[in-house]
Amino acid sequence: MKKLIALMMAVAMVLCFAACDNGTAPDTQGTVPAEKSFTFTYQGTEITFGAPAEPILAALGEEKTYTESASCAFEGLDKTYGYGSFYLTTYPMDGKDYIYAWYFVDDMVENEEGIHIGSTQAEVEKAYGKDGFNGTNSYTMKKGNGMLVILLENELVSSIQYTMLTD
Amino acid sequence: MKKKIALFTSVLVIFALLFFCLQALLVPKYMDKSKEGNLIGEYYANAGNNDVVFVGDCEVYENFSPITLWEEYGITSYIRGSAQQLIWQSYYLMEETFRYETPKVMVFNVLSMKYDTPKSTGDQDEREAYNRMTLDGMRWSSSKWNSIQASMTEQEREKEAQFSYLLPLLRFHDRWSQLTADDFTYWFHRLQVSDNGYLMQTGIKPAGDDYWEPPLADYSFGENSWYYLDKMVELCESKGTELVLIKAPALSPIWHDAWDEQIAAYAKEKGLKYINMLEYQEEMGIDWSVDTYDAGKHLNVYGAEKAARWFGDYLQKECGVADRRNDPQLSALWTKKTEAYNDRKALLESKKSEEIS
Repeated sequence: MKKLIALMMAVAMVLCFAACDNGTAPDTQGTVPAEKSFTFTYQGTEITFGAPAEPILAALGEEKTYTESASCAFEGLDKTYGYGSFYLTTYPMDGKDYIYAWYFVDDMVENEEGIHIGSTQAEVEKAYGKDGFNGTNSYTMKKGNGMLVILLENELVSSIQYTMLTD
Repeated sequence: MKKKIALFTSVLVIFALLFFCLQALLVPKYMDKSKEGNLIGEYYANAGNNDVVFVGDCEVYENFSPITLWEEYGITSYIRGSAQQLIWQSYYLMEETFRYETPKVMVFNVLSMKYDTPKSTGDQDEREAYNRMTLDGMRWSSSKWNSIQASMTEQEREKEAQFSYLLPLLRFHDRWSQLTADDFTYWFHRLQVSDNGYLMQTGIKPAGDDYWEPPLADYSFGENSWYYLDKMVELCESKGTELVLIKAPALSPIWHDAWDEQIAAYAKEKGLKYINMLEYQEEMGIDWSVDTYDAGKHLNVYGAEKAARWFGDYLQKECGVADRRNDPQLSALWTKKTEAYNDRKALLESKKSEEIS
């Protein structure tokens, strides 16, 4: 009987303390991406995924538009800052904001490869190749902890979207 | 031998009791933060006699007041909503609801059609936390099991985490170091956070004009979403319940015209009612400068009462939902519910006044 009790205790221990790594917070802060990711430099300010937002926002100056959005159940706000030619989105973690995404909305800004709103499909393929093409109207490229999506309308770039990969 | 059996049984019972107590202590209580985690579990005490049941995401549990539906129209209703509830979760909640009652009308908010897979929702750790809020509150049933299977993220599948939904201690065993006073206060019982599934908010934060979202490459809803919408239609038909599709009144996230057109076409093909309530904001009297607590994403209680007032009229005129105020038992029950609702509203408003002053 003692053996049986010991066995049950052992089962209980396994059930209770089995290593289930199920954390809920995104592991983004302080991690170093294995591969260099996308960046965006605007008027001398470099923007990178997961970077603390505060110094970047200070360097960019006053935004033209600002909106914030709470998640359905969790604390903290996703914030979107509009700077005319691009939008910048941050996510909250432990009371601070970090860069999550940026989006180009006019042809006054271009990316590291010289692609901007209005670039041709041929220019996109010259810069990134054909691998990321979905066959209709978009290219998706991943690099490090970031993803670039380029949308086309009538074979011209209509939207350039950079978002952080969180998994 | 008998002694051994008795001892074995005693050990088994003690073990089960310890396991149950430990599990009850370690699971999140969702009382102070993320109250949404309690919504699904609160249904069972209120199951039965609901002529209208809502299923869907935050756009149902924030945007319609069942108490207003009762007070203004005598409509009995319950909202089986949860945070970022995905369409397969809505389907299995619908299926489970039919085990307890057969409402005259089932209302589904179609925003979640935009998510075709768990991965498509974005951050997968957050997705898992949302899954917990919907699934952990469900009672054990085949509907729960199937919903778990449909909902798990890839990481959860790799870890074979489905059993941790049946025995949440397996998931939350390491919360022992994060326990707060709430975990002990609500160890074996929790306070009701909702009013028939409606989660009340009294704050006011006006919606601005600056909300923006990046365009999408493809506005077509995915196959999986259509699959579960088809299943909802079949399920409701088989039960003789009318399925009504709605897009709740909310400014963000954006409900794109291309999405609206797909749902409208589907509803027409299936002979369903589909109401995009964004088109009736004026009739409802929604004022986005005072009727939202988070700049247009959800309504506050003042907006939710307006939306319910409008929708109650629709439910009675177009769906023939009965006025049950002449039923003395129901009337007594709903009088109590109304009092609790009014008390909650008064409490939240007084807290808000204190914060302002």
